[in-house]
Amino acid sequence: MLLCALLFCAAGLGEVRPALSQPAGPTFASSERLGLIKQRGVLIVGVKTDYPPFGMLNSSGEPVGFEHDLAADIARRLGVGLRKVGVTGSNRLEKLQEGEIDLVLATTGDTAERRKIATMIEPDYYASGVTLFMPPNENVKDWSDTRGKKVCASQGSYYNRTMQQRYLLDLQIYNNARDAKLAVRDGRCIGYLFDNTAIMNDLAKPEWQGYKAPLPPVMVTPWAIAIAARERGSEFEKVLGDIVADWHRTGFLIEREKAWNIAPSKFLADTHDLWQRKDADGALFCKRGADGNWNAECRNKVFLASADVSGLAHAGLWLNERTGINLTPLYDSFDRMQFLKGLATTLLLTVLCILGSLVLGIAGAIGAESRIPVFARVIRASCTLARMTPPLPSMYVVLFGIGSLCGISFSAMAVVVWCLCVYTGAGVMTALLDAAATYRTWHPEYRVRLFEVHKLARWASGPVTAALINVSKATMMASAFAVPELLSASTAIISERGNVGVMMNAMLLTFLLIVFCVVRLLRYVEHRVVRERRQMPRQGAPVSLDVEGNA
Amino acid sequence: MMPLGEILTYLYTWTPFLLTGFALNILISVVAMAVGTAVGWLLALLRVSPHPRRVRFSLMITEFFRNIPTIVFQFYLVFLLPVEVIVPSTGIILTFPAWLKAALALAIAVVGFTSDNLTIAMEEWKQGNHTAAFLFIPSWTSYALIIVMASSTASIIGVSELMSRCNTVINAIGNTNLMLPIYLYACLFFFGFCYPLTLLMKRISRILETRHAGTT
Repeated sequence: MLLCALLFCAAGLGEVRPALSQPAGPTFASSERLGLIKQRGVLIVGVKTDYPPFGMLNSSGEPVGFEHDLAADIARRLGVGLRKVGVTGSNRLEKLQEGEIDLVLATTGDTAERRKIATMIEPDYYASGVTLFMPPNENVKDWSDTRGKKVCASQGSYYNRTMQQRYLLDLQIYNNARDAKLAVRDGRCIGYLFDNTAIMNDLAKPEWQGYKAPLPPVMVTPWAIAIAARERGSEFEKVLGDIVADWHRTGFLIEREKAWNIAPSKFLADTHDLWQRKDADGALFCKRGADGNWNAECRNKVFLASADVSGLAHAGLWLNERTGINLTPLYDSFDRMQFLKGLATTLLLTVLCILGSLVLGIAGAIGAESRIPVFARVIRASCTLARMTPPLPSMYVVLFGIGSLCGISFSAMAVVVWCLCVYTGAGVMTALLDAAATYRTWHPEYRVRLFEVHKLARWASGPVTAALINVSKATMMASAFAVPELLSASTAIISERGNVGVMMNAMLLTFLLIVFCVVRLLRYVEHRVVRERRQMPRQGAPVSLDVEGNA
Repeated sequence: MMPLGEILTYLYTWTPFLLTGFALNILISVVAMAVGTAVGWLLALLRVSPHPRRVRFSLMITEFFRNIPTIVFQFYLVFLLPVEVIVPSTGIILTFPAWLKAALALAIAVVGFTSDNLTIAMEEWKQGNHTAAFLFIPSWTSYALIIVMASSTASIIGVSELMSRCNTVINAIGNTNLMLPIYLYACLFFFGFCYPLTLLMKRISRILETRHAGTT
């Protein structure tokens, strides 16, 4: 036996050597397993046969599926035959350790626990996540719509607790998947929380015709090919990694996905783009470094350590490794972009709302004091109406109510800005009209007109500034309508990463800073405007101290 | 477009359900005002105290409360405050349902308001301008109405108040033509509750102001 193994070993070495003499690059340990495969002329792959359409039995009982095609392609590229061995979720890595199979291609999630007992090939070749299986008439369009809603789940799913915490779901736990799906049918919950690849399979059945799963999968776990733990850093790992990289580059995986009628996965589209990317000098962006690993940007980010990266990313990972403070926007470029875009959107919202409220308020005050009798009345009445209608319900009225009536879909951001401006503008207008009333004590002939507004600064500035500060604090209402501002961006990062405490504190601090700056800026402007008007007569306290408390 | 009669029948059928939701808005506001006023009162007491250190401390806290956007704080509490807490060594379990978290977040804004306005009122009282000090009451009530309107934001964190119940109703009926009437109906709840009370408060403060002008 030992002799046999040695023989295989020698044979393997002999065969592998030519492959090693490739263009200058990292060197890999020769692989005992690869030698064995070439020697026996057959690649033995562990696959699934109970997970359509990834691995299943067709009508004539032959094992086929998405992953079976991948296995066949590996065998073809190695120039050997293929033997498939059926495995299950519980025995696939055991069989690998025992050496019964060469590699596992069986919907295996790339997790830290598995990396301890097997070598997971990078890049990952597919990814699954959690989504909601929903009845045809359900109106949920976004994960944020599910907050506080009853959602069915089955007992023992690893994501139940996390999803409950990150998405604030009201989980109804059933004993098994069947009961949970029936509960969805009976309307006892808005949907069933389950793996998106399994849901895809259900949706194809006639029983569930019309049912849907429109929410993008979350808590995405990439799938990887697994080989034995002792093959880490070997030629075998490299060959397989290169094959998967080539699959991504050539679009082979997307083509196979289509062939099996699998709903297009965002993961495959993104990785396809990433692995096709070229540097400025035309070289491929994803390449192996001196240590044989792919560059950090092309690896599974979950397993990066601070030693693998440099700069800001290094600082972020180092902080996480040392203190457990997982500030992902520091080291993950995707999270960072999301957070910065959110910040930019929030700042834009703030500026638009402040300017819009001022313009509407001044225009309203001029209109209300114009000499056109009916018009002035109408303006005053709308002002009262606007002040007594909270902005959030009016956003619903405009965005969904009027939108559905006329068949127009308004831009959510425009509607949010408009409704906040109308509400705050009404407050600004009231302050101006009150100030005008006071001013008339000395100048009875005064009317609010465009070039006369500044005369009211002395009395109106306080309440107007308060209203503008409040509108800057209310812009986060936009998150209710999927506008990607800072609050939405932060909750999105939390739902993907689970770093609730850190992100919440970072977000709160950022908002405090924004409000602080807005307050300082507005007070500065107020101070300048009022000081210019110092010559005006002084009289008592400003009219009514009308603080808009709308957060 | 649906015939008006049918729309009204739908609205009538769902009114008790929506009214219960609005009652939750009121409850959230009452709790927010109660908690916020109590804390704000303490801060105001510190601000009128003769010790400069206490004044500075209170000003700092007030500034902090003034600057926190309540919607953000709602999320903060929902994500970070556990649903249940066992009070150590008593075995009592405190539960924090989502509506209570929304109320506590809104209370933040009330703290800032009370601290600022009550300080002014207390100073007026000290100077003997009792009528001017009483102006705090109508402005406090007007603020309470603003909080009632702001309580609609609790729907964002999934509290089953008026706005989220509107969405539930629309989903249950499954007719998008009803969206506009139902949302407008909800707006009417807020308007019908807040407008008469605002008019009343304006009248009271006007009476107080004239009386104040008479005494000085």
